[in-house]
Amino acid sequence: MNRTQLIEELRRIVGPRGLVHRQEDLLTYDADGCVMDTGEPHVVVVPETTAQVAAVVKLAARAGVPIVPRGAGTGLSGGATPIQGGIVVSTARMDKVLEVDVRNGRARVQPGVINFELSQQLKPYGYQFAPDPSSQKACTVGGNIANNSGGPHCLKYGITASHVLGLEVVLPSGEVIWTGDGTPQTAGYDLTGVLTGSEGTIGLVTEAWVKLTRLPEAVRVVLALFPDIAGSSATVSQVIASGLLPAALEIMDRLAIKAVNDMYKLGLPEAAGAALLIEVDGVEDGLDELLHEITAICQRNGALEVRPARTLDEQTRVWAARKNAFGAMGRLAPTYYLVDTVVPRTKLPYTLEQVGVIAKDYNLPIANVFHAGDGNLHPLILFDRRNQSQNQRALEAATQVMHVSIEQGGVISGEHGIGVEKQDYMTLLFSTDDLAAMAGLHQSFDPLDLFNPGKVFPKGKGCGELAALRRAGVEWGALKAAGMM
Amino acid sequence: METNQLLRHLNESVGAEHVTDEPTACAPFSVGGVAPALVVAPDSIAELAQVLAAAHAAQALVVPWGGGTKQRMGGRLAQAATPLLVVRTQRLSRIVEYEPADLTISVEAGISMAGLAATLAEHNQMLPVDVALPAHATLGGVLATAADGPRRLGYGTMRDLLIGIQVVEATGRVSKAGGMVVKNVSGFDMMKLYLGSFGSLAIIASANFKLIPRPRAAATVLCSFPTLEAAFGLADAIQQSQLNPVAVEFLSGLNETAADACQLAVLAEGLPAAVERHVRDVSQMAEKVGAVEVQTLRFDDHAAFWQRINDLPQVAELAPGEMVLRLTCLPAEMGSTLANAASLASRGGLKLLTDARALSGVAYLRLAGSGWQPLQDYYNALVARWPNLAVLAAPADAPASLAGWGRDPAGLALMQQIKREFDPQGRLNPGRFVV
Ligand SMILES: Cc1cc2nc3c(=O)[nH]c(=O)nc-3n(C[C@H](O)[C@H](O)[C@H](O)COP(=O)(O)OP(=O)(O)OC[C@H]3O[C@@H](n4cnc5c(N)ncnc54)[C@H](O)[C@@H]3O)c2cc1C
Repeated sequence: MNRTQLIEELRRIVGPRGLVHRQEDLLTYDADGCVMDTGEPHVVVVPETTAQVAAVVKLAARAGVPIVPRGAGTGLSGGATPIQGGIVVSTARMDKVLEVDVRNGRARVQPGVINFELSQQLKPYGYQFAPDPSSQKACTVGGNIANNSGGPHCLKYGITASHVLGLEVVLPSGEVIWTGDGTPQTAGYDLTGVLTGSEGTIGLVTEAWVKLTRLPEAVRVVLALFPDIAGSSATVSQVIASGLLPAALEIMDRLAIKAVNDMYKLGLPEAAGAALLIEVDGVEDGLDELLHEITAICQRNGALEVRPARTLDEQTRVWAARKNAFGAMGRLAPTYYLVDTVVPRTKLPYTLEQVGVIAKDYNLPIANVFHAGDGNLHPLILFDRRNQSQNQRALEAATQVMHVSIEQGGVISGEHGIGVEKQDYMTLLFSTDDLAAMAGLHQSFDPLDLFNPGKVFPKGKGCGELAALRRAGVEWGALKAAGMM
Repeated sequence: METNQLLRHLNESVGAEHVTDEPTACAPFSVGGVAPALVVAPDSIAELAQVLAAAHAAQALVVPWGGGTKQRMGGRLAQAATPLLVVRTQRLSRIVEYEPADLTISVEAGISMAGLAATLAEHNQMLPVDVALPAHATLGGVLATAADGPRRLGYGTMRDLLIGIQVVEATGRVSKAGGMVVKNVSGFDMMKLYLGSFGSLAIIASANFKLIPRPRAAATVLCSFPTLEAAFGLADAIQQSQLNPVAVEFLSGLNETAADACQLAVLAEGLPAAVERHVRDVSQMAEKVGAVEVQTLRFDDHAAFWQRINDLPQVAELAPGEMVLRLTCLPAEMGSTLANAASLASRGGLKLLTDARALSGVAYLRLAGSGWQPLQDYYNALVARWPNLAVLAAPADAPASLAGWGRDPAGLALMQQIKREFDPQGRLNPGRFVV
């Protein structure tokens, strides 16, 4: 089937309005928020129904063309980038909240619903969708599910996986199944669980039952300022260790403070080397006590100042500054490369010190804005993409951050996923047998490697090969020696 | 002679004193009335891998065995001409890594839940999944069966707490996933695959968790009601409020008198002021919906009460003619479902004890009758309307139709494909899960 024929058949399925195929229009779809890798799609479809998606998938299988699911394209690991071309399936027109079932604590949504819109729609009922990535005003629930995304409030409420009850997915075979409806402990394997976080490689989510979280009765937000990042990160690990569980613990360092100050007029003293945003929530009773104890820990660690955000307006402004901090980086450099790694919380102070060393070694400024309570780092390497040497140094610095994180007992991604960005670093963390088990799961769903091929697993040999080797029981060491990996 | 050869291999791997083929020693490890030919207890993950590789070579069927408290669960074990091997995890009971300040732990699968809790308590921490018979139940067994506890309402289940895992597959291949951090999307979430897979894909060798600090205060409000509807009236009121109790448990069949036939136990944990607020509000709400008695339990009374509740669904010991079911449904349907379950039981002449997570949609039903036929009738009537009905235990003489997991789940074909991929020869717990 040639491209023209493919486009014709797709047009029959999704209609002329559901098709994007002009060269200049395809450019929008050649990358996600991670600009380090790009790839041009053959064609983009924007279906409106599950049946259309299923028909597109069956056609793709027949044509031997990959399917690349795409939400809002805010991903930061190249997950939605059509690295091998293919049909990009955009969920932009599947953007409705279909049902809010408060009594069962669930809502049925289409994958293209914007995360923030969902919570806005739930608010009148007194509920929210708890996962709140900083990109929540743009990213989709389908993208959140595929990436098992986090957000500041995941510290208390858990990551996306804890908020997905059941999925309608189109499988690579074109078959459509529902994996659950909110009934707990159903028989068989946890398909909902394995699909969540699978980065669009084994199923395309066309509808989801998500869990509703009651809005808390009371919320308190304070901003603690420290002379340096060490004091703030020590505070975080002491707060966690002392058994106080805030709703969120987020840190911004000096560079980030400067950027958001310019943009949000927070008037933070630029002498401050770090700002720690603390939120506690729950019933009103006991909340002030809790905050008081946390404040005392801040002070013991040398806080310069602890500022309560008293009004809702002040709270919103502080949070906006945090959530838009990446955007504010534009004030400091033309490009940033965000590295998402995690370390055990007690290793934060040391790891951040090392990030500072890496900035010096590679001679690039690095800002830090991150989910400190979870030990989830986000060094933002500032550089100019047009400068070859800076480009190279940014990549090397990022690799160095991953090495340091792993050395400290951490991992290479806390919430942004592997995609293409980190696929070659998977071997730093996992043995061949570990990867082969993942490949076994992958093969059970997608034996032809139709969905989002060339992602997650290390480049070179695909997951099909990994799984085949696993089935054959071949020792990995031997494979490596034979130059197969 | 496969058995003899396997025995020799096992002796070499783990030492003869940890392997037995003595019929009397093997008998206590029977599954569905079938005694294994061999029982082996490896001492390390490396030994476990050797055991499975040897079993694989001998084409043996393998039943993983933790504390043996739930071996009555599942479909009937598929029989085969090859030897049946029980692999005990009991000696794999080490704490691999525990960093209290990080609130994370890595432990081997054979540790008892009580043993683990004791270690964590020394550091004022907990893994808030309360299971039946914690002195016997092992961590691996709890994971394999995806057991839940009353506090799932507040803290979630193992699904929310498990951050890393190491398994040994049927061939002896060892693999791991996840890590020792609380947030991680590096690679597929294999934890979700093995959790609740009933030893049908691999044997869980060790697991990592995120821990929770023990609450500074806790109290239980125990409310008694004459009717199920009144008790669920309180559950609904709590669901609609902004209170956040960590458990709301519905109980019936514990008391003989009609006036307090049903109870709702509401557990609050956290800061002292927040706990007192819950005690105050819940007590008032209970009186409004017609509670005949409202008690507040604290300290030892409270702890003893919950241990008794946790043990209610146990299936290690069955009285004659007893059957235990787990019924799950949408949370809002729990009240009407249990009303139906109760009237069906009384029509069938069965005694019923109910323990339900009132706001989570999970109920454990303990039924007693004479002979298996009334139990079978009851099961058939229930499963026709509630497909998610697992038989946790049935009388020994009941037929195979009174076993298993309720109606086939959606996506069964895909699950079977996963099973084939991980265990192509069907050696791990064959017939018991995803068949
Ligand atoms: C400024 C900024 C801040 C961010 N902050 C956070 C944060 O705090 N926490 C966090 O976790 N992430 C964060 N991210 C990353 C990103 O926003 C999240 O990963 C988000 O969930 C992606 O959603 P999306 O709709 O943009 O998905 P896309 O980028 O379009 O896709 C992401 C992945 O999901 C797949 N996919 C999309 N839809 C489907 C579907 N329906 N079915 C199957 N697969 C699908 C894609 O193939 C791809 O692999 C941030 C990004 C930016 C730019």
